[in-house]
Parts: sequence; structure tokens; C-alpha cells
Amino acid sequence: MTAVLESQGITKSFSGIQALSDVSVSVTSGERVGLIGPNGAGKTTFFNCLLGILTPDAGTVTFLGKDIGGLPVHKRARAGIGRTFQRIELFSDTSVREHLLIAERVHNGTGAFWKDLLGFGHPTRDEISRCDEVLELLGLRELGDEPIEALSLGQGRLVEVGRALMTEPSLLLLDEPSSGLDREETTALAATLREVQNEKGFAILLVEHDVELVADFTERLYVLDFGSLIAEGPTAETLSHPAVRTAYLGTLEIDTA
Amino acid sequence: MMFAFAGEDFFRALLQGTPPGTVYALIGLGFVLTYKTSGVFNLAFGAQAYISAAMFFKAREDWGWSIVPALILSVFVLAPAIGLILERLIFRNLRTASAVSKLVIAIGLSVALPALFELVAKYKPVAGRSPTGIVPNGSSVFYDPFGVYPFSRDELAQIVVAVVAMLLLAALFRLTSTGLAMRAVVESPRMTELAGIPADRISAFAWAISSMFAGMAGVLIAPRLNTLISTDFLTLVIIAMAAAAVGRLVSLPGALIGGMGLGWFIALFNTYLPRWSDDHTWLKPFQDNLTPSLPFVVLFGILVFWPAIRRSIDATDPLAGVDPPPPALASLTRHPRLTRQTRLFGLVFFSYIGWVVFTQADIFWLDAVTSAVILATIYLSITVITGFAGQISLCLGAFAAIGGFTVFQMADRYDMSVLLAALIGACIAAIVGVLLSLPVLRLGGVWLAIATLAFAFFFDAVMVKFSWVGGGPTALLTGTKVPRPILGPFDFGASDRSFLALALVVFVLVALAVIQLREGTIGRTLRALRGSEVAAESIGISPARARIIAFAVSAFIAGLGGAMLAMHQENVDYGRNFTPFAALFWLVLVVSLSARTVEGAAQAGAAFALFAALILDGALFTWLPFITEDNLPGIFPISGKWRFVLFGLTAIQFARHPEGMVEFGKRRATAKRNARYYARDAERAVATEGGSS
Repeated sequence: MTAVLESQGITKSFSGIQALSDVSVSVTSGERVGLIGPNGAGKTTFFNCLLGILTPDAGTVTFLGKDIGGLPVHKRARAGIGRTFQRIELFSDTSVREHLLIAERVHNGTGAFWKDLLGFGHPTRDEISRCDEVLELLGLRELGDEPIEALSLGQGRLVEVGRALMTEPSLLLLDEPSSGLDREETTALAATLREVQNEKGFAILLVEHDVELVADFTERLYVLDFGSLIAEGPTAETLSHPAVRTAYLGTLEIDTA
Repeated sequence: MMFAFAGEDFFRALLQGTPPGTVYALIGLGFVLTYKTSGVFNLAFGAQAYISAAMFFKAREDWGWSIVPALILSVFVLAPAIGLILERLIFRNLRTASAVSKLVIAIGLSVALPALFELVAKYKPVAGRSPTGIVPNGSSVFYDPFGVYPFSRDELAQIVVAVVAMLLLAALFRLTSTGLAMRAVVESPRMTELAGIPADRISAFAWAISSMFAGMAGVLIAPRLNTLISTDFLTLVIIAMAAAAVGRLVSLPGALIGGMGLGWFIALFNTYLPRWSDDHTWLKPFQDNLTPSLPFVVLFGILVFWPAIRRSIDATDPLAGVDPPPPALASLTRHPRLTRQTRLFGLVFFSYIGWVVFTQADIFWLDAVTSAVILATIYLSITVITGFAGQISLCLGAFAAIGGFTVFQMADRYDMSVLLAALIGACIAAIVGVLLSLPVLRLGGVWLAIATLAFAFFFDAVMVKFSWVGGGPTALLTGTKVPRPILGPFDFGASDRSFLALALVVFVLVALAVIQLREGTIGRTLRALRGSEVAAESIGISPARARIIAFAVSAFIAGLGGAMLAMHQENVDYGRNFTPFAALFWLVLVVSLSARTVEGAAQAGAAFALFAALILDGALFTWLPFITEDNLPGIFPISGKWRFVLFGLTAIQFARHPEGMVEFGKRRATAKRNARYYARDAERAVATEGGSS
């Protein structure tokens, strides 16, 4: 097993408040890893440090053996980190297939300007069939021509996944994919994701607060609280870790008197 | 002795800068107040200031009112009323609209409001009738308390009124619960409502107050102008933004410091600027024009060099997620039959129009149609930057002017072929566009728009005056002669018809290029960026690179169109075509029709050049049976100002229909037919299936 993502000692503080201290997370290829923690634990900050939206005060991020700490967001995406968003981010006034086509073109396209100008920029049959393959995989084939505004939240999230898949990522970061979905939709999303992952073989890092989804979906787990890791290991074991239970559920004191 | 003298200079400059500084602070505060409570970058602030100033002027001069009632009407009744109406009718419904949509709406208002006021109040600026201040003999009685600088009564009034207004504002924020509620509304109107505070009423109150500040600033600043013209007040917005930017748009004390600082800075700059001599004549245009353009330079500098400004961009409501998603646009796919029908109709329609124009039109109509075609070319630059990339660029007038001036300079100095010069001009515009975009790229959104506006004003105030740009004094005397082009055997100067043909060819070529870009990688990338910058980045799109390309392409098109316009008019008429206000109107026009399609640009060109002649002057109706020029209804000709009102107010729809009103109507109309055709297809499929089995 080779490490896809390796973050070492990520530390970040905002004007005196320690948001992350010495967080080290690693994801090996094909693995499903979860990162959980109560609100304000630093999940989003850590996520942003991985993606290059924030620059950590200390620590390194290695991706496929290369230090990507200095790269801007879009270059990390090109290196092979795909992602979805907690608050769904789609391109308005654009069809579902078009979302995938854009990603496909950015990933594989060459020599844009003059090619475009001379009329060679239209999507090729090849590109369209590759997009349709992914749409098929996600069960969105029927919706290919729909404007994005016509989709439900769950479908929209799948479009985000599809868009990320077109860039052939080695690692997919899922930012609270269950937010806004009900239990049924969440289960369906997890099933689809697992299926797609089996097909494509990328690794998944799931940031989530829905413990049920995490327990069901991930193999390994990291737990953040107050900016530092309080537990890590196989999911089931880690979830039953006393520190995790305290952090998550709090200590319950029943006054029996 | 020398030192004491310098000290006196310094002191005098400070005193001199104080009266304008206090007024700048006043508008800065008003601007911040609106932004804080409704997230609107109120570009219409200048228009509001203008309306109060003009109302005051009208009441005083035309109606003969005394100062106090005139002041009450213009500043304490009209100004807040306008603010309340804007809040109630427009901005209250747009809380969750993006900052860029709100900016576009404010631009629409800044175009529409002055024209609407002039039409309703029958106000007409007359040269030579200078506005007076709010105290009698304001500009002729002086006081010199320090023995260094004599204050005029107007200036003292400015200081007193501004200081009193600011103290009242501070008291409101510090001492009353309304002030506290205002601060809460800024953070999240919804959350405030949950706490039982009527966010709407608070926000309306803030609009009324900030509009009053705008009106007061307009009345106070008017005596500094020779004639009350609405476009002069656009500059006020820049000043307000420069002051507000010092406080990162959210800090009232910051805006105060910014406004005062700007007043002092300009006065000090004036005092210590080295005087030009014969050895440095090239410096003269800089010296003559740098002072009035300082607010633009300061604003641009703040935007570029002050990183803190970037962080204040996205003030989003933590509860924004509870809002319903925007309404879905009609489907983009069309039934092939519908496409065929549209194409056939288009072909017939335009062949007929073309036949009429080329065989029947007289010189007036040829001129109007040629202008429409060339403007449509220029508007394609807006299609690229705003329609595709979702960025607002307010300096396209300057880029078009660069194209025009290049043609003039090249033809005048080197006798170069004007078509070649037009290409060079377009390239220069593109280079300037890239250079301009580089420092502000990271800002994005609203700040990018503001930076381009600052550049447009800078170009307007300084660059045009250079002899190597606008021709300098010689051009003022003899005009900027631009010849019509000759290409091989074709002399496009021979007749207006042949030049129209050339203009059409250029338009079609540019339109085709734009369509190819839209369908290709660049167009797709820009569309992604327009939809969601973070998502675009997450699939590997570099926003900076995409924006540079969009800026360059759009500047190139504007430059080329500007060059064509100069050839058409055989003169670079900067004041008529390319001023910052003209560029604002362009944007409003294109956005209100359709910014995302090539047809939208063509419609906007026609609207600009033909709307007045066809509709407002009534020409279209004289073509109807039984109506001739003699029995045309008395309402014609309608004032051309209605154009500004009509399109300015249509632009308000931008937040709800970013694709433009014409495009929206078109999609809605085609959606029905589309559905019918598809339904018929389905029926037929069922029928054939049934027949075969």
C-alpha cells in the first residue's frame, strides 16, 4: 500500500486561536478514511490546508510522494485531488453533461485559444462518451441535458462527484456530503460512492459529522477535537474509544439522588 | 526662516483640505452605512447626491425659494424618500443576491435616476449658472481665523454641517438601540429577525439616513462646480469608495479618516507638487490633471496594495443557506424544428432589412445603422467579459478610445493604413487590459469592477489629455481627423454604403470568433468560473489565467470597435462616445437585454443607435399606414433621456434574470413551442410503434 496523501504536523492558528496543532493524517491508495469531530474541531480548517485555500503555519502536505505545500489550489486539483463541497457549488445556467465536459476538457485539453478561435474547441464525440460513461456510473445518464437548477440536492451532489471524477483524481475529498440529505438519500449516496470507487480505485477522505455514515462507509478514522487528533485507527474501534465518546456525546451525569 | 515658511505651507494645505475632506468623509460614511446594512455597493450614490443638489438649485433659482425650505425639500424630504423607495422596491428583495448583481443594479440606477429626475422635475443644466451654497454670499465672504488661509462661508458651512451630521450618526450608533440593531442587520438580517427585530425597517432606516448623507454631500459640494451636470457627480462615488475603502467598507471611523485624509492629501499634493518648467513640458498634462484624478489613483492604489481589502469581500449571511435556490432557467436545448424556423425567419427578416438599408436608406439612416453595427461589435466585449466570465468591467470605453486614438495617431503621424492601425489599436487595448487586470485579478467580483471604474476615470482625466493619446491642444483646434480605410481595390470611403458593408464584415467576424470561444475550452472555463470560482478551481482551472484571457479578448474587441467607430465618424469623438458614463450605459444596455448571447450585443447596438430615432422620434410609426410626420401624435418626439430610464430600470432585473430580459423572454417563449414539438414527436413515436405491432 502506498500513501496517496501524507500530511505531517499541520499547525494553524488564527490571531492567537490555535485551530490546528500538529495534525498528521495519511491516506493510502484505494482506502476510505474518515475525519470526524464536533463543530469547531478544525475539520474545515484542515481541509482548507490540504487544498491550499489556507496556508498552514507549519507542517507539510505530500501528495503521491511530492511536496505540494507551495502549490495553489488549482494546481493541487491538477495533481489529482478532487473534491465536493458542503454547500453545493455548481455552475449555474449549465447542463449536467456540460459540468463534466468542462472538467474533462480542463483535465485533458491542450492549446486552448487558437484552437477555440478556429472552431476546434467544440466537444468531441470521444469526450461526450467519456462523460456519459461517468454519468451512467452515477445513475445520472437520463439527466444529462437537464439544467443544473432542475436537480435535487442529492443529484446535485452526485454531479459534483461526477465533475471531480472527470479529472481522474487519486484522492477524492468529500466535505460533509450528507449535509442537507435525509437518511435514505445519504445511504444511496454512500452506496453509489462505494460502487464508483470500486470501479475507479481512488482513495476517499471523508469529512463528516454524521457518525452513522462514517461508521458505515469508512475503514479508518481520525478524530479531531479542539484542533488536535484525539484518536485514530480502524473505524469501529475508534468510535468506541472513550475520548471520542466524550468529545462527541459529552459526559452525561445523571442525578440519581 | 525657510523652515517656518514650509511649515506655513503645510498648515495652509491642511486648512485648505479640511472643507472638502469633511464632505468626502460625509459621503464615505453614507456609502459605508448602505454597504453595511444591505451589502449594496451603491454606485448610484453620486446620482442621489446629484438629485438633491439639482433639486436645491431648482428650488432656489427657478422657484425663488429661500435657503431653508429648499434645503428641507432637497435633503430632508427628497433624498430619504428616494432611499426608502430604492430599499423598499429593489434592495429589500435582493438580500441574498450576489454582490456583483447588486452592483449591476446600482449601476443601472446611476444611469436611470438622474435622467428620471431631469424628466420629472424638468431640470436642465445650463452652462454659466453656477450653483450656490447653503449660506448667503457663500463664495464672496471670507474669514481668516489663523491668518494663513481664508475660509469662504461656504467652506465653513461644509465643515460645520458635516461635523454635526457625523456627530449625530455617532450618537445614533452609540446611544440608541436602533444603532445596535443596524449593526446586527449587517451580519445577518435573518438572524436579526429571529431575535424579534424588524430587519426590514432597520434596513430602510439605514437607507434613508445614508441617502440623506448623499443628498447633503451633493448640496454641499455643488458650489465647487461651475454647472450642475449629473456625470460630474459620478466622481463623488469614487471619492466615497476611496474613503470607504480605507475603513475596509465596514468601519465608520475608517471612512471618516479616509475622507479627511483624502481632502488633506489632495491639498498637500497640490502644495508640494513641483511646478513644471519648459524643460519638462511633458509633465504638464500630468500636473494639470493629476489633482482631480487623485481619488481614482488613491482608490486603485488601496485596492491593489492593501491586502486587508481582499478579506472583506465576501460578507455572507450565515443563514443564507435557508433561502430557496434561484429559479431554474428554461432548458437550453431546442427542438431541431424550432431551430430551423428561427433560422428561416432570421434569414428572411435580415435579408429584407439589409435590402431596405442598402437600397433605400438616406444618409441619416445609413449613419444610424452603421453606428448600430459598430456598437454591436464593441458590445461583444461585454458579452465576453460579463456574459461569459461574469466579471464587470467598467473601462471598456477607455479601451475603445485606445483603439480610436491609435488609428488617429497612426494615420496622422505615419500615414499608416487605418485598418492596420485598427488592429494595432486593438492589440494595444488588449495589452493595457492585461496590464490593468494583473494587479487586481485576485480581487475578483465587485472590487475588480471598481478598479476598472477607477481606471476609466483616470484615463478620462489624465491620459486623454496627452498629445500622444488624445492629440493634445492641436486636436482641440483641428479635431482628430481619421480617414476611411482603403483595402486594395476597395475604397470604403467612397460611399457610406461600402463602409457599412465593411462594418458588417467586421461585426460578423468578431461575432463568429466570440461564438467559437464560447463553445470552446475558453468559453467553458469562463462559464465555470462565472458559476462558482471555488468549484472551478477544484477541477484545475486557474482563475487568474482565465480572467487575463477574458480581459485581453474583451479589451481587444472594444479597441477594434472603437477604431471602427472613429473611422465611421472620421473623428475620435471621445466626449460623445467613450466617457466613463458612456461605458456605464453600455453595460446597462447589454446586461438589460442579454449579455450572454451574440444576438444580445446586436440588439444592444440597435437599441443604442436606433431606438431614439425609431421609437422616441416616432419614425417607426410614420411607416404605419395613415400616419405621416404631420399627423404624428403630439407625444413625439419623446426625450432621449427615456433611454437611460428605460434600460437603467430594466437592468434592475439582473439579479433575477442574469441572462437578460430579452433572453429571458425568448427562452420563455421558445420553451412552450419546444414542449409542443417534443410532445408531438412522442405522440408520433407511439403511433408508429402501435402501427408496427
